[in-house]
Amino acid sequence: MTAEGTALLEASGLTVCRAEDGSVLLDGVDLRVGPGEVLAITGASGAGKSTLLHALLDTLPAGLRRSAGTVRRRGGVVQPGADGRRWRRARCGYVGQDPAVALHPRWRVERIVGEELTGPRAERAQRVRQALELLGLDEEFARRRARELSGGQAQRVVLARALAAGPDILLLDEPTSAMDRDTARRVIEAVRARRGVPELCTVLVTHDPTLVRELADQVLRLSSPATPPLPPRALGPRVGERRSGALGAVLATRGLRVVRPDGAVLLEGADLDLVPGELTTVLGPSGSGKTSLLHALAGRRPATGGQVRLRGRALAPQAHHRRRDELRAVQLVGQHPAGELNPAHRIGRAVARPLRVLHGLDARGSAVAAAELLAAVGLTADLAGHRPHRLSGGQRQRVALARALAARPDVLLLDEPTSALDAASARVVLDLLDRLRAEGMAVLAVTHDPAVARRADQVLHLRGGWLVPHGPVDPLPTVTGRTS
Amino acid sequence: MIRMRLDRGPAVPAAAVTFVALVLLGRQLAPYDPERPVAVPWSPPSGRLPLGADALGRDVLSRVVSGGARLLTVSLAASAAALLCGVALGLVAGWGSASVGRAVRWVCDLLLAVPALILALVLAVALPGATAVVVASVLSGAPLTARVVGARCAEVRDSGYVRSAIERGERTPTVLVRELLPAMSGLIAADAGLRLVTALQLATALAVLGLGPQPPAPDWALMLSENLPGASLNPAALLAPAVPLALTAWLPASAARAAGRRMGGAA
Amino acid sequence: MIPRALLRTVLLAVAATAVVFAATEILPGDMGDVRGAGRASAEDVARERERLGLDVPAPVRYLRWLGHLVRGELGRSLASGRPVADLLAERLPATAALVVGTLTVTVALTALALAVGFLRGGRGGALAPGLAAVPQAVYAAVLGAVLSGVLGWLPAVSLLAPGSSPWAQPRALVLPALTLALPSAAFATVLLRGALTDVLRLPHVADARTRGLPARLILRRHVAPFLLVPSVRVLALMTGWLTAGTALVETVYGYPGTGGLLVSSVAVRDVPVVQAAALIPAVIVLVGMLVADLLDTAGRHRPGRSRRMAPVATAGGAA
Repeated sequence: MTAEGTALLEASGLTVCRAEDGSVLLDGVDLRVGPGEVLAITGASGAGKSTLLHALLDTLPAGLRRSAGTVRRRGGVVQPGADGRRWRRARCGYVGQDPAVALHPRWRVERIVGEELTGPRAERAQRVRQALELLGLDEEFARRRARELSGGQAQRVVLARALAAGPDILLLDEPTSAMDRDTARRVIEAVRARRGVPELCTVLVTHDPTLVRELADQVLRLSSPATPPLPPRALGPRVGERRSGALGAVLATRGLRVVRPDGAVLLEGADLDLVPGELTTVLGPSGSGKTSLLHALAGRRPATGGQVRLRGRALAPQAHHRRRDELRAVQLVGQHPAGELNPAHRIGRAVARPLRVLHGLDARGSAVAAAELLAAVGLTADLAGHRPHRLSGGQRQRVALARALAARPDVLLLDEPTSALDAASARVVLDLLDRLRAEGMAVLAVTHDPAVARRADQVLHLRGGWLVPHGPVDPLPTVTGRTS
Repeated sequence: MIRMRLDRGPAVPAAAVTFVALVLLGRQLAPYDPERPVAVPWSPPSGRLPLGADALGRDVLSRVVSGGARLLTVSLAASAAALLCGVALGLVAGWGSASVGRAVRWVCDLLLAVPALILALVLAVALPGATAVVVASVLSGAPLTARVVGARCAEVRDSGYVRSAIERGERTPTVLVRELLPAMSGLIAADAGLRLVTALQLATALAVLGLGPQPPAPDWALMLSENLPGASLNPAALLAPAVPLALTAWLPASAARAAGRRMGGAA
Repeated sequence: MIPRALLRTVLLAVAATAVVFAATEILPGDMGDVRGAGRASAEDVARERERLGLDVPAPVRYLRWLGHLVRGELGRSLASGRPVADLLAERLPATAALVVGTLTVTVALTALALAVGFLRGGRGGALAPGLAAVPQAVYAAVLGAVLSGVLGWLPAVSLLAPGSSPWAQPRALVLPALTLALPSAAFATVLLRGALTDVLRLPHVADARTRGLPARLILRRHVAPFLLVPSVRVLALMTGWLTAGTALVETVYGYPGTGGLLVSSVAVRDVPVVQAAALIPAVIVLVGMLVADLLDTAGRHRPGRSRRMAPVATAGGAA
C-alpha cells in the first residue's frame, strides 16, 4: 500500500464558491488525515472552517457549491449524491456548531442518541447509556428532550450520538464551545481515546488552543484575506490621556446598560466619551453586544438603563422621541449592507433624501450634493440611477455611509464599516473619515478590521459586558466564552 | 438572473393590460349579436360559426368574446377594494403596538370563520349579485391581505432603511408611504393576484348559481351552466367559455406566485 | 390552554352567527319589502313586518334568534312553512356523503402531490396554484362535458330518490366529488407546501441530511410529525370550504343536499333556511380548527413555547 492509500480521509484542491456571485470561500484546500490521526482546523472566524467540513461531507447549504476538488476515503473518491450520503451514514459522525437547535425537538435524548443504532433493544439502550456516561450525562438526561438541555449538554448529546455509532471518521465543529473546563475535559478524553486507533480518524474545527495542543496530530490553518489578526499597534497608553479629555465630548454615555429580551446582559455600566475629531473603535467577539451599543446610542433599540448625552443634554432613549436636530447630529450606518437600503429606491434618491428632510435642499440641489457624496465615498456617478440590487455589498455599504453623511452629523456611528470593502475602497473610506474628523466630526466604529483600529484615537474592548480600554490582552483570549 | 427577470418585467404588465382591454372591449369584436339566435340550436362548429351555436342557436364565438367584461369588471373592483382595505389594516397591525396588532388579527380571525362562498351567498339574499361579490371579497379577502402585509410590515419596520428614515426625523405617514409601501410592493402585487383570483371565483360561482347576470346576457359563467346540457351535441359551446375563464384565473395566480418568489429571493 | 381554545371557538362561532345574521337581516330590502313587493300598500307591508317581528331593533332580533338557535329551534321555512330542522335533516346525509367522498379523494391527491414535492426537495410546484385558481364551475363544466357528455360514463344529473341512502347510488357521487376534489386538492397542496418548505428548513432536518439518513427516513421521522398540525388545520379548512362548495356542485348536478337547499333558499329569500344552512360550513371550519389547536397544544408538551407554525390560511381563495 502506498502512503496515499493509507489516508482515511483526503481532500485535494477543494474549492467552494457562492453560487450567487461566484465569490470564493475556500480556495483549493488540501488535507489528509491518516489512520489514528486528529486533524485540527483553525483560523479566524469567517475563514470557512465550517464550510470546509460541509464540503468534505458533500452537505454544503443551498447557495454554496463545490466548484473543484475531490474527497477520497481510503483512496477511493467519494461521489457526490447517493454515494456520498451512504458514506456519511455508514462511516461518518458529525457534530455541528449549533447542535442545540439541530436536535429533534420532540424526541427524548435516548431516542436521539440511539436513532441510527441497530440490534436488539437492550443492546442499543446499553450503548446509548455508555455513550452518554462517557461524556458525563447520567440516566436522568436520557429522559430529557432537546429544549431541556443547555448548549453544552446538547453538544455532548450530539457527540454521544456520533460516538455511539462508532464512526470511522469523526468531524467536530467547535465541540466544546459551550462547555466549562471540566466538561470540555471529558470531550477531550473521548477524542483522545480515538487517537492511534488505526481504523479511526478525527477532524476538529476549533478556536481553542488547548484543544489543538492536547489533541492535534496536525494543524490546518485556514486564512482569509478579509480578516487578518488583531491590530499590531496597541494603543493602550493613550487611552489614559483620552479619559481626561472627556469634558469636550459631543456624545457621552454614563452607566449604559443593555439587556437582551431573553435577559442576557450585553452591556453593563458603559461610560463612553466621543470627542469631536476623534475616532473611537470598539473591538470584541461577535455576539458580545457591539451592535447593541451602537443601536442604544442611535435610539434604534433603547438601552435598558443609563444615559446617553449629546453635548451634555440627555437624549431620549428612543429615536422617535428625539428632536429633529438631535436626530441629525447622530447618524448610524448599519452592518448589513443588504438591509440598509430600501430595495425600491434609486441610490441617488436615497442619498439625497436626508439633505431634503434635514437641510431643506430642493430636488436639484440635493441631487448635486448627493452626487458629490457618492463621489466622496468612491462611487461613480452612474450608480445614482440604480436600485440597490444592482450594487455589490461593498457599494451598498458605501451608499449607506454617504446617506448618513448627507445628514451632516456631528457623531457618526459605524458598524463594521469596511466589512464588505476591498483594501483600496476601505482606504478611500477611511481617508474620507479622516478628513471629516479634521472638520470636527466624532466617529465611533465597531470593527474587526485592524486597518480601522490603527487609525483610532481610542480603542476599547467589549468583553463580558464591560467596555474596557484595549490594553495588553491575554495571549489566548477565550473567544467563545459568552454563549448563553 | 435578477437582471433577466427585470428586463422581462415590463412585458408582463403590457400583456396583462392587453388581455384586460380585449376582454372589456370584446363586445365590439363580436361578429353577431350575442343575444340573438343565428342558427339551429346546438349547431356544431362550421365555417360561418367557428364555435357553433348554443341552446337557443346563438353564436358561441360572439357570446364568448362579449362574455368576460362584466365578470372581469366585478372581479377587478372587488379585488381592488379588498386589497385597499387589507393593506390599510395590515399597516395598522404591523406598524402599531403589539396590542393593536393582536386586535387586528382577532378581527381578521372573526371574519375568516365564515367561508367566502357562504358569505357571498348569504349577502346575495339582500344585495344584487355584483355587490354581494364585492362585499364578500372585502370581508373574506382583506383579513388575509392584512395578515400577510402586517407580518411583513413588522419585519421591515426594523430594517436599516426604515430605522434610518426615522433617525433622520421623517414623519410616520412619510415612512409608511415612502419607505414601507415601496419596499413591500412585490408582496402587495402577489397578494393582489390572489385577491383577484378569489373575487373571480366568487363572481363565477354566483353567476353559475343564477345570482349574477340574467339571461340572455352573454357571460362566461352563465354559459357554463347554460351549455352543460348540450355537452354531447356541441362540446365547443361548453369549452369555449371554460378556457378564457380558466386563463383569467390562472394568469393572475401564476403572476402572484412569480411576484412572491421574486420577493422571497430578494429578502 | 384547553379552555382558552374552547372559549375562542365559542366566540368565533358567535361571531359567525353575527356575520350571517347581519348579512341576511340588517341589509336593505328585508323580508317585509320582498313579500309585499309591488302589490301591497305601505300599511300591508308594515303589518307584515310586525307579523315577522321585523319592527324590533336588529340587536334585539339577533339575540332572540341566537337564543332560539342555541336551543336548536331553527324556525320554519318562509317558502314551504316546514320546520327548517326537518329540511336540513332530510338533506344532510347526502351532503355528508358527498363531503366524505370528496375529502378522501382530496387527501389522497394532496398526499401524492406533497410526496412529489418532498422528493424534489421542496422546489417547483407551479401547477398547484394555477389549478387551485381555476373556478370550480370550470371543473364542473369540463368534467361534466367529458365524463358524462362525451364519454357517457356517468349520469350528468345526480338525482337521488328522496330519503334514500346516498351510498345506494355511488355513481351519482363521482362527478360532484371529483369536481370538488380537484381544486381542493390543488389548494390544500399550495397551503401545505408552504408548511413543508418550512419544516424542511428546520435545523434538525438539515442535520439528518448531513448525517446521511435516506429520504424516506427523514420524511417519516423528522418531517411528517411536524406536518401533522398544519395538515389538520388545512383539513379543517378544506372540510368547511368543501361543505360551502357543495352549494355549487349540488346545484349544477342537481344533487339533493344542503348546499343546493341554501342556493334555492337564497333565490327566494327564505331567510331562516339560509341562516341555518350557511352556519353548517362555518361550524365545521371552527370545530376543525379547534381540533387542530388542541392537537397543537398536546404536541407541545410545555405551554408558552414559541409557535413555529404560523396559521396556514394565508394564501386565499374561495371554495
